[in-house]
Amino acid sequence: MLSPGQRMLRALVAWMVVGIFFFPIYYWFTIAFRIDKEIFEIPPLLLDFTFSWQSFEEVFGITIGAKGGLEVVPGGGNYYMVPRLVDSIIVAVGSTALAVTVATLASYALSRMRIPGQHHFVFWILSTRMMPPVAVAIPMFFIYKNFGLLDSHLGIIIVHALMNLPLAVLLLKSFFDDIPQEIDEAALIDGASRFLIFRKIVMPMAIGGIAATAVLCFIFSWTEFLFVLTLTQTSLKTVPVVSTTFVTSTGTAWGKMAALGVTAMIPAFIFILLVQKNLVRGLTLGSLKQ
Amino acid sequence: MNAVEYEGIAKRFGSVSVMEDISFAISEKKFVVLLGPSGCGKTTLLRMTSGLEKVSKGEIRFFGNRINEVHPRDRDIAMVFQTYALYPQMKVFDNIAFSLQVRKQPKAEIKKRVEEAAEILDLTPYLQRYPKALSGGQRQRVAMGRALVRHPKVFLFDEPLSNLDAKLRAQMRYEIRRIHNQLDTTTIYVTHDQIEAMTMADEIVVMQNGIIEQIGTPDEIYDRPANRFVADFIGSPSINFVEGVVDTTSSAPVLQVESQQLPLPTGLNLEPGRELIYGIRPLDIKHDQGSALSGSLDFIENTGAESHVHFMFGGNRMRLVKHERLSLNPGETVNFLPDLEKVHLFDKQSGARIN
Repeated sequence: MLSPGQRMLRALVAWMVVGIFFFPIYYWFTIAFRIDKEIFEIPPLLLDFTFSWQSFEEVFGITIGAKGGLEVVPGGGNYYMVPRLVDSIIVAVGSTALAVTVATLASYALSRMRIPGQHHFVFWILSTRMMPPVAVAIPMFFIYKNFGLLDSHLGIIIVHALMNLPLAVLLLKSFFDDIPQEIDEAALIDGASRFLIFRKIVMPMAIGGIAATAVLCFIFSWTEFLFVLTLTQTSLKTVPVVSTTFVTSTGTAWGKMAALGVTAMIPAFIFILLVQKNLVRGLTLGSLKQ
Repeated sequence: MNAVEYEGIAKRFGSVSVMEDISFAISEKKFVVLLGPSGCGKTTLLRMTSGLEKVSKGEIRFFGNRINEVHPRDRDIAMVFQTYALYPQMKVFDNIAFSLQVRKQPKAEIKKRVEEAAEILDLTPYLQRYPKALSGGQRQRVAMGRALVRHPKVFLFDEPLSNLDAKLRAQMRYEIRRIHNQLDTTTIYVTHDQIEAMTMADEIVVMQNGIIEQIGTPDEIYDRPANRFVADFIGSPSINFVEGVVDTTSSAPVLQVESQQLPLPTGLNLEPGRELIYGIRPLDIKHDQGSALSGSLDFIENTGAESHVHFMFGGNRMRLVKHERLSLNPGETVNFLPDLEKVHLFDKQSGARIN
């Protein structure tokens, strides 16, 4: 048991850690809502800055109208970032769905079926993550050019899914390995096919692991920079890449960059919120006598 | 008719051979227990019967038909696992109904059969619960319900009671046997617990290291164990073994155990000097003040109903069971008298029974 003093200390340290992680995000928020000339004020204006939607209006071309609803700014603002957010969402959701679907099937097979050289197979999957992505950026560019995948949503979805697959497979395999084989066997004797066992019995038990994997895949795709930069031209750009357009030869538009960044948090936040309820483990509880 | 026949079954995992040549038959409606220490191959044999494990060599037949290549779902078997292997995300009803649902039985029929199985197993109040809301014994019964509902030709049990506490285990032993008597389905039951085997089986198959040591009814196996291993494995408290040499110089043959002598059953024609293992169950030794045989008391275990008297005889640790309480101090003399009709003699080298 901890004494009250120790408990207090523990809470204090915990809150300090939270503060260290949270402060930069808060600071970023305040910059998004400051007017340009207050951004570099020393000491920094953490609370009493002039609140303004100006950065958001210019970035998205949308303003809060007189009646309180959203209105399109006449002339459309200066940056047209709404389509870029949509691009990001399409790419992240698409690649997550693809990676998780393929990885779930693959890792179940790897977990349950015995193939010669299986041990090497897992290592081989992992080895694809040992190489820095930039080493394949140029070859990928040429492959994509030949396949007509350059500058398309599908192309980016595929490349992000491919990047995520190894980790997703390994992660999910460990979740499937935790589900006792006897459950499969019981269902097999009950007359279920392999696929039915997977769909009705094993997958629902691994849903926590699948959710966790989905979150990781989504965040990776949401923040990935290199492949989007090299494999797209004009028809799509995701938020990380387009953020760089605020860095110009005449200076960096910090307020606008912050406004885009703050907005970009929202879809990721919503996605994680949606998946979060499945992140609870312990679904296998009660199946077996341990 | 034989429900299940094994002929020349061999099983190898890679280069490791688990069993070489197993052959026996199980007749219809019998409750057969495969008994042996862990690693003896009993579970492997059961898994080959279920189709979860491939047979390396030999043939398994159900009602005369070879089933080596038949898929588990088409063998018309049901299996209860040691860990129960319930589906945690399904309610008890769906757990039991799953095999029927997979086979696309009509809804009304499924409901009828699940309720019937629940009735037999006293699970009716729990049908709408999830497995995690059940106790160990109830989960075990759900696992049985899943098997019952199929009306299979053969039931397979893989140590189903080993995760239950002692009291519940005794109760479930009775339940399983009662259900068997009610349904009359051929049952193969794997266990390492000789009490389960003795109390439930029509026939026991004792296995060790992938070899069948003896097949027989519980009485046969208890009364006439075929070798030293079976004698040792069956019976609680376990049998006493005393090693010695046959001596026929006096009128009745005796076993010379160091400086002391044990009487041998007559009419066996044992050559003098032969080395034997003399087995006698603790319940077959009487504590008799008038006997010439004596040992020195080690200690007495009192179980309430019985006293287990441990004593040393010619360098051997022995035990006898007495139904009355006994108050003796360690080191005092214990006079005992073995029942010569119940002595089991084994060859020292081969361990095989000789009387």
